[in-house]
Amino acid sequence: MTLLQYLSVAALLFGTGLYGLIQRRNLVAMLIALELMLASVSIAAMALTTYAGGDTSVGLVIALIIAGVAAAETAIALSLFVVIQRSTHSIDVEQLSELKG
Amino acid sequence: MTGPVVAAVLAQAAPLAACVTILVGLRRRHAAAAALAIASVTVSLVATAWLVKAIAVPDTRLLAQADWLPIAGSPALAFGVYLDTLSTTMALVVAAITLCVMVYSVGYMAEDPGFGRYFGFLALFAWAMLGLVLASNLLQLLVFWELVGLASFLLIGFWYERAAPAAAARKAFLMTRAGDVGFLLGILMLIRALGLATIPDVIAAATARLEPGFVSTVAALLLMGVIGKSAQGPLFTWLPDAMEGPTPVSALLHSATMVAAGVFLVARLHGFFMAAPAVMNVLLWLTLVTALATATMAMVANDIKRVLAYSTISQLGYMLMGLAAGSVAAGFFHLTTHAGFKALLFLASGIFIHHAHSNDMREIRKAGPAPRAAVIGLVAGSLALAGVIPFSGYFSKEAVLAALGEHAGPVVVALAYVGVALTAYYTFRMVFLTLRGESAPAAHVEHHTRGAGAMAAPVLVLAALTLVLGWLGGWFTTRLSPLAGHEGPLAFGTGPMAATVLTALGVLLAWVEFGRAGAARIGFAERVPALRSFFGDNWYLDRLYNATVVRLATALSRLARWNEHTVLDGASDGFAAGTVGSGRVLSRLQAGWVQMYLAVLLTLVAALGVWLLWPGGAR
Repeated sequence: MTLLQYLSVAALLFGTGLYGLIQRRNLVAMLIALELMLASVSIAAMALTTYAGGDTSVGLVIALIIAGVAAAETAIALSLFVVIQRSTHSIDVEQLSELKG
Repeated sequence: MTGPVVAAVLAQAAPLAACVTILVGLRRRHAAAAALAIASVTVSLVATAWLVKAIAVPDTRLLAQADWLPIAGSPALAFGVYLDTLSTTMALVVAAITLCVMVYSVGYMAEDPGFGRYFGFLALFAWAMLGLVLASNLLQLLVFWELVGLASFLLIGFWYERAAPAAAARKAFLMTRAGDVGFLLGILMLIRALGLATIPDVIAAATARLEPGFVSTVAALLLMGVIGKSAQGPLFTWLPDAMEGPTPVSALLHSATMVAAGVFLVARLHGFFMAAPAVMNVLLWLTLVTALATATMAMVANDIKRVLAYSTISQLGYMLMGLAAGSVAAGFFHLTTHAGFKALLFLASGIFIHHAHSNDMREIRKAGPAPRAAVIGLVAGSLALAGVIPFSGYFSKEAVLAALGEHAGPVVVALAYVGVALTAYYTFRMVFLTLRGESAPAAHVEHHTRGAGAMAAPVLVLAALTLVLGWLGGWFTTRLSPLAGHEGPLAFGTGPMAATVLTALGVLLAWVEFGRAGAARIGFAERVPALRSFFGDNWYLDRLYNATVVRLATALSRLARWNEHTVLDGASDGFAAGTVGSGRVLSRLQAGWVQMYLAVLLTLVAALGVWLLWPGGAR
């Protein structure tokens, strides 16, 4: 497989995640879309370090850090969603517009 | 510092200290305020008397100055004292009259709740006037000149809770300020041209360093201030209205001393003004017309203080005529004698007013016999004002007429003699209206015993002075106009008898119309309604000012108000409304819709990427 193919997969994943983030109204669905985007970045980083030569472990480290960050982020986000669900009985972003000007 | 400088500083510092102390701490303590003010002016009187002995008697001069304001390219502007015969004599006159008036005020103002404030203002005036007289620099003189104007404003409007005094104070302030604009401009032109404003240097430069045209311009500008302060020409109408102030104030400020400041200035800068003969000729005619016009106004006034106010303007005109004709001695001699007898007349009229509770001469007559001191004062002062030999006014008026006869044309002299006759007529009209005719029975209960002595004593002192001051003519002549040489102690004008005959005619006419038993008690000018309203209404000058200057000022202020409310307020209101409106429009972007923000962010990042990566684009 060539670098271009790896990057294409990463771009596809990124685009899919972005689309889902913008299009979905459910906070949980948006969080899943966000995870897709993070995964695409991991793929791109690993592919680039592998094909650009040099130390391939850099890409691995980046991917591991992203996975850790994503886990933490998901934990925080899900607990926030629970709080939001309790206080507003909804996790629809269109309902959460109290800062509207 | 030498002795005279210490004395000059002391003469100014004492009233200033009294003024501050009274206005800060003694407003409610009436006796202490009056005592302090009188003590301070006594100090000034002693100091100025010593100055006259040290400076004027040997006829020396002394200039003591220190640096004041630095000016680029020339030595600093100085401040200090300039002592010569003129200034020390004037300072003595000011201190003496102020002391008389303060003692008198103890009785006159005894029942006024503003007693302490009144004495504070009088002390302020004493300081400012002495500072004006002794100032060595024209700019310094202007500062005191304006302080004197402030004291005048405060004292005219002393009873500020009444409408008329408040309006009169405002009018006096505005009219004199109108003249002072010219005064300030003149001084600034001098400073710009010479880099200094020290009085003897300015006089020396007038003939040496400056062009005649420039001197004439500056002289005309300075004379604007003189005309405003000394109530001449077109700017005199504030003085009759200033009579709304307490009577002792009229005696001190608005007849004897403050209004004479303009005359004093012309005498002080006489060498400068004489370098502009055309301007002095205009001044001569202006003051001549003023003297005659105000004499006619005095002929129809029924308010005793207004009669005296018009006569003050008229006599100030005579002083300035003497100066304009070239004789410092004549003009200043008349200033000195006038200060004595006009203060006397006002103080005496104050006793009448206190007695009758009215300014109207007919009401005063009806109120019954007045205290003897008032009658003596009124008669002695009137004899001096009319110029009856041997009272002081005779000598000084003869000196002025002599100066006119020597230096002015026959028309001026003839008109000045007409003025003499008019003066005698209106003066004795006042005397006869006040002292003769029907009256209440003498059983009038005297209930104003409190302070009567304090009021009578200065009147009697000044009455005695009217018999003394006239003999000082030679003293002034030898010191102030040494080249004239002809005026001895007994000064005679062009025709020694002419003035006396005209005075007698005026008195006789007044006797026929007002004095003799069964007189109609109505003057020839009052019989003609047109003349009566013309003379009684300041020759319609106030109406003219109301129709032109006041209306113009009102229109301008209306324009300013429109500008304020429509243009300036409109601009700021519009700006505020625009801010609010655009904020309202832009706040729609804050939709509270997270995904729209994301979409916008994405679009912008994409656009940025395209812009940065476009081949041959941004970079």
